[in-house]
Amino acid sequence: MLKLALRNVFRHVGRTSLTMAAIIAGVVGLIVSGGFVHDIFVQLGESVIHSQSGHIQVSREGFRQGGAREPERYRIAHPQPIEKTIAATPGVRDVMARITFSGLLNNGRSDLAINGEGVEPDKEAALGTHLAMVAGRRLRASDEHGVMVGDGVARALKLEPGDRVTLMLSSEGGAVNTADLDVVGVFRTFSKDYDARAIRVPLAAAQDALGTPGISTIVVSLERTEDTDRIAGELEAKLAGQHLDVATWQTLNDFYAKTVKLYERQFDVLRAIILLMVLLSVANSVNMSLFERIPEFGTMRALGDRSGFIVRLVLVECLVLGVAGSAIGAILGVLVSAGISFVGIPMPPPPNSDVGYVARIEIVPVLVLAAFAIGVVATALAGIPAARRAVRIPVVDALRQAI
Amino acid sequence: MTGEPARAGRPTRAPDADPRLAVSVQGVSKEYALGEERVVALANVSLNVDRGVFLALAGPSGSGKSTLLNMIGCIDTPTRGRIVINGRDVSGRTPDELAALRARTIGFVFQTFNLFPVLTAYENVEYPLQHLPEIGRRERRERVLHFLDVVGLADYARHRPNQLSGGQRQRVAIARALVAHPQLVLADEPTANLDHRTGRNILRLMRRINRATKVTFIFSTHDPQVIRMADRRVDLEDGEIVRLGVRARKEWSYAFERAAEPPAFADGETQPGR
Repeated sequence: MLKLALRNVFRHVGRTSLTMAAIIAGVVGLIVSGGFVHDIFVQLGESVIHSQSGHIQVSREGFRQGGAREPERYRIAHPQPIEKTIAATPGVRDVMARITFSGLLNNGRSDLAINGEGVEPDKEAALGTHLAMVAGRRLRASDEHGVMVGDGVARALKLEPGDRVTLMLSSEGGAVNTADLDVVGVFRTFSKDYDARAIRVPLAAAQDALGTPGISTIVVSLERTEDTDRIAGELEAKLAGQHLDVATWQTLNDFYAKTVKLYERQFDVLRAIILLMVLLSVANSVNMSLFERIPEFGTMRALGDRSGFIVRLVLVECLVLGVAGSAIGAILGVLVSAGISFVGIPMPPPPNSDVGYVARIEIVPVLVLAAFAIGVVATALAGIPAARRAVRIPVVDALRQAI
Repeated sequence: MTGEPARAGRPTRAPDADPRLAVSVQGVSKEYALGEERVVALANVSLNVDRGVFLALAGPSGSGKSTLLNMIGCIDTPTRGRIVINGRDVSGRTPDELAALRARTIGFVFQTFNLFPVLTAYENVEYPLQHLPEIGRRERRERVLHFLDVVGLADYARHRPNQLSGGQRQRVAIARALVAHPQLVLADEPTANLDHRTGRNILRLMRRINRATKVTFIFSTHDPQVIRMADRRVDLEDGEIVRLGVRARKEWSYAFERAAEPPAFADGETQPGR
């Protein structure tokens, strides 16, 4: 049967080529569009991780819900043993402390409500690879009274590197403290909202102003993003009983999950459209081919072939077409993806962001396999109705069409 | 694919089956609906065909000869009446049961040759043997080569149909019809697409095989020169048998009666009528 199917597939090279072209185009389309969407997920995720949240954050239980209202209630007073435990976990690249606060920033003329973070500058610099500097430089460990402000803050207060600002905040004891700080740089993340309120100061300066030796969160940076869930699980086990909350970057950035869900839904629609296009193209081609072969099927049945054999033969022919077309499509899809990635696609800033990026096409083995499988299944499905129609024609009528 | 029919579906031997008969057509009618009109292609035809005859179904276009041939070949079903092939009543059989019966009992030769274009002459001849799993690879090869030799195409085994002339294609079709050792070969206008000389040669070949193997041949034709080569003839007009002939030397002697019972030829070999 396979020999007969193979010969039938290649009896009309032109038509077979056209059908294969439709399958190839569909598979390439699935691989490239899927890789493009996957790249968006990866880039967005990495951007979130390396400009804001890190891979994992460890904080006191309840901090994420009530930390903004009562930050002092959720301080980690002695973070060093916890940091040591986390740092000893395989796959962890770095561990750094942050203390969050809110207050007012004054430029001598006006005030702006801000959300601040006291950070360890050198460690944050290593993590914050997706933090773009609009002006000036990043904070350094030596910047005792330095401040790095978000792009929106700089614009609102007309700040630039070298300017002096006053930070006003409430200390743990309830007093209002002030700190004079020198602007060292203006940064921009992918989130415009974050940049409109964010400032970063050295951890020691923030602790001094807040009057506490404690911290709010321990930020964990990993060697590989894909290990996040595994390491988070390990940390939960190690830190059990200490009333600490271990949160991954997906949990911390709710909008990421929503964005992924939105794009995945769009990609599902795209996938369905491509599947439909392949189905219609192949069905059209297979229909034409089978229609011409109705007398042949009549002859086969006259010679003793059962209808089921003919349906199976057509199915095998479609599978041969599907496997060949999808295999070529998969190879071509990988090559096209690599080519596009080599050049890169300059993308405009996404909504709520000022930062554009260069998109690539991720070659995801699962997506390549899925595209191959979709190509094969769609082609096989396309042939079945036509084959069933062909064998429903009475033998004598099928033979009459040869005359 | 196996050509073996299900045990339950094996056509049963007709209780009144005459073992001398290859085919018995009993009161068969075929009617078609053409729009709101009913067309009668065959009207209550009865015909008994003895084993080993070389029988021509003759008549003009639309006389019902192809319809009768299709009924005998079990590729069409009668509106009324029954058909007994090789002693077995084929009425009420499923399409798959009829396919299995055709595979083992009947060989077909078509007007348009109907060879599979993607297969070589050898493979075309071999094709019906896929339904006979009991035939091993060696016997299969021997049979195919034998019948290609019988039809004079041993040297063309590797040729595809498009590399053969019309006459050669029909020879391949004849070899294909014979390879499964059927009891009956049906040929619908086997010479219609051939020139006269090639057509005569094809008929001579079929007749030679008929005499050598005693396989029953029934073919339809409207060509008087082709009819002349048969040793029995059944003439049809408007779906009815109008004349029966037996060739004695070069002349036909006709027996024709419109009687309720099938009339008999003098030698009893073929007994047509309605």
